[in-house]
Amino acid sequence: MFLTMKVAFRNISRQKKRSFLLAGAIAFGMMIITLMNALTGGAVINIRDNFSHALGGHVFITGREWTDAGQMIMKIRPDANLDRLLEENSGQIAAFTRRSQAMPSLIFGSQQTLHMLYGVDFVEEERLVNSLVVIEGSLAEVGKRDDIIVLPEPVAERLGVEVGETVLIRLETLTGQQNVGEVQVAALIKDQEELGLSAAYTSRAYLNGLLGMEPHEYQILNMFVTDLDQVEQFARTFREGLMAPDEEEEQIDEPEVTVTVAGVPIDPVQRTEEVTPWEGTRYQVMNINQIMDAVELVVGVLNRVGLIIFLILLVVTMVGITNTFRMIMIERTKEIGTMRAFGMHQKQVKNIFLWEAVFLGLLGCLGGLVLAGLIALAVGSISLNADPSLQFFLDNSRITFALPGKDIVTNVVLVIFTSLLAAYWPARAAAKMSPIKALSSHT
Amino acid sequence: MAIVELENVRKVYTLGKAEVHAVRGVTFSIEKGDFASIVGPSGSGKSTILNLIGCIDQPTEGIVSINGTVTAGLKDRALTQLRHETLGFIFQSFNLIPVLNVYENIEFPLLLGKKKGSKKETREWIEFLIEAVGLADHMHHKSNELSGGQRQRVAIARALATKPEIVLADEPTANLDSKTGQSIIELMKRMNSELSTTFIFSTHDRSIMEIADHVIQLLDGLIVEDSKTKAEAGSIS
Repeated sequence: MFLTMKVAFRNISRQKKRSFLLAGAIAFGMMIITLMNALTGGAVINIRDNFSHALGGHVFITGREWTDAGQMIMKIRPDANLDRLLEENSGQIAAFTRRSQAMPSLIFGSQQTLHMLYGVDFVEEERLVNSLVVIEGSLAEVGKRDDIIVLPEPVAERLGVEVGETVLIRLETLTGQQNVGEVQVAALIKDQEELGLSAAYTSRAYLNGLLGMEPHEYQILNMFVTDLDQVEQFARTFREGLMAPDEEEEQIDEPEVTVTVAGVPIDPVQRTEEVTPWEGTRYQVMNINQIMDAVELVVGVLNRVGLIIFLILLVVTMVGITNTFRMIMIERTKEIGTMRAFGMHQKQVKNIFLWEAVFLGLLGCLGGLVLAGLIALAVGSISLNADPSLQFFLDNSRITFALPGKDIVTNVVLVIFTSLLAAYWPARAAAKMSPIKALSSHT
Repeated sequence: MAIVELENVRKVYTLGKAEVHAVRGVTFSIEKGDFASIVGPSGSGKSTILNLIGCIDQPTEGIVSINGTVTAGLKDRALTQLRHETLGFIFQSFNLIPVLNVYENIEFPLLLGKKKGSKKETREWIEFLIEAVGLADHMHHKSNELSGGQRQRVAIARALATKPEIVLADEPTANLDSKTGQSIIELMKRMNSELSTTFIFSTHDRSIMEIADHVIQLLDGLIVEDSKTKAEAGSIS
């Protein structure tokens, strides 16, 4: 085997230009699929991170209960069982937030706009306070007063409001009554992460008041876990721990694809049509992977499209390799005859060609990976001023690339297999060549 | 003891619709250790006979026996094995493997079969051959860095690498000038004497054939003369 490998390896360098072109064609295909895989791989990671950040966690718990009037509302009351679970699993929780939320009309003078408003405990949400980029005003008062609001700068511009002025909030309570409140603009902030997730913040107690909730109640419990790989197990612990004795486990296999960036990760009210009212609070526990399932579905399609392009390129390259190897076979006819005369078996002749194909494939793969790496480095260093909706795919406005090792191995194996397949018939023909005919050849 | 025996051998080629009778029924034998020459003009069947002895072609009729083995009916694998173990080849146009250097070209046949002897022994043997053919200074040169005479010397060393019983040389001097051709034949003769290897070479050069101790003359696929002489001692330098 060593001899055939050695001869094959040397043969590669024999017609450098031809080998370079062949390997180059393979490298081009490899580069395309690598970039495609790495791009989608990076996008999945970015989307997950951006979603987590935007939604305030990796695991989201919502509570639902029925009012005496037969209305289902979304809220979580203080619950010893939930507190116990939080305490027991504190080692796996990096941070958690308890928020209320609404989509009220913000009114200033004759201007008004609908905008996402989170009711947060500014003292509890130190992480949020630290992440807000203040353009005007100050966050010094946010933990001390309830009737204040922190507005994204574009919203303030639309309303024509400035720091210190009072904005009117008009919304519906959980039970559907109209309610109005007044808040003072404490600060203007940069739109968070430019993710198109523009949200305003007020104190949870104040928003709860407007929604008809008690100050210590909330609507969503968001948790960041310490180990994202364990998020499914972590969510299951909470799901099982919070399940009422008479409650049937909900089917959660289907990802909730209607989750929108400006909304809540789930909308239980829409999912619970025609259900029998129950006593107390029922919880729904979602995790980031359930949202990512939908994203990964799209990414899977993209990767498959990439694979098809790659396969088309490979087929084109394969035709090139087959033709080249046929040419090589003709060029080396006399040499094949000589080797056969000295006792080289047919299989060994075939192996020389096949090893050449393997080396070419490997060379192409290596070239493709290096090229893809260089392009990824170059593209990754550019800060894109893209549409906010695209920012979800980016990491701090930069495209990132991530390619799992198994994808590289799969692509390399595919390239080698295709190269072998392309070289097989010329190799077989070379092996089957009669020594006398080969030696009589004038090539 | 006959190492090569041909008995009523015929070889017919088909060229389109025409049949070419390259060998028309030849019978001869070559003894072990002979320095035999097959002589004749172009088209007389010299190369065909060498190809038949070399097991790279099969007779249409008749028996070819190499070292006691009748080649007819042998499968490709067995013929390949026979070639590897019993025969060495020297070609008119040298046929060196261009990607291998002098040492590697000579080593090449040794790597094809089962390993005989240690690495050290193999290396010493190849170096001995390189020394014997006078190319010690060109050991790591590729074939395109050598002259025609040097290439043929490499080919001789390569043919002897597996210590074959028989070395076949198809017009080994045809692509060389007369002086170099003479030196190549002399080298072959020396190897024949020193290693007791049977050499069978074809030529149409009368001055070269005179060095042979067994001359088979062909004309139109038939033997016209089969003479055995003893080369005079001291005629080889």
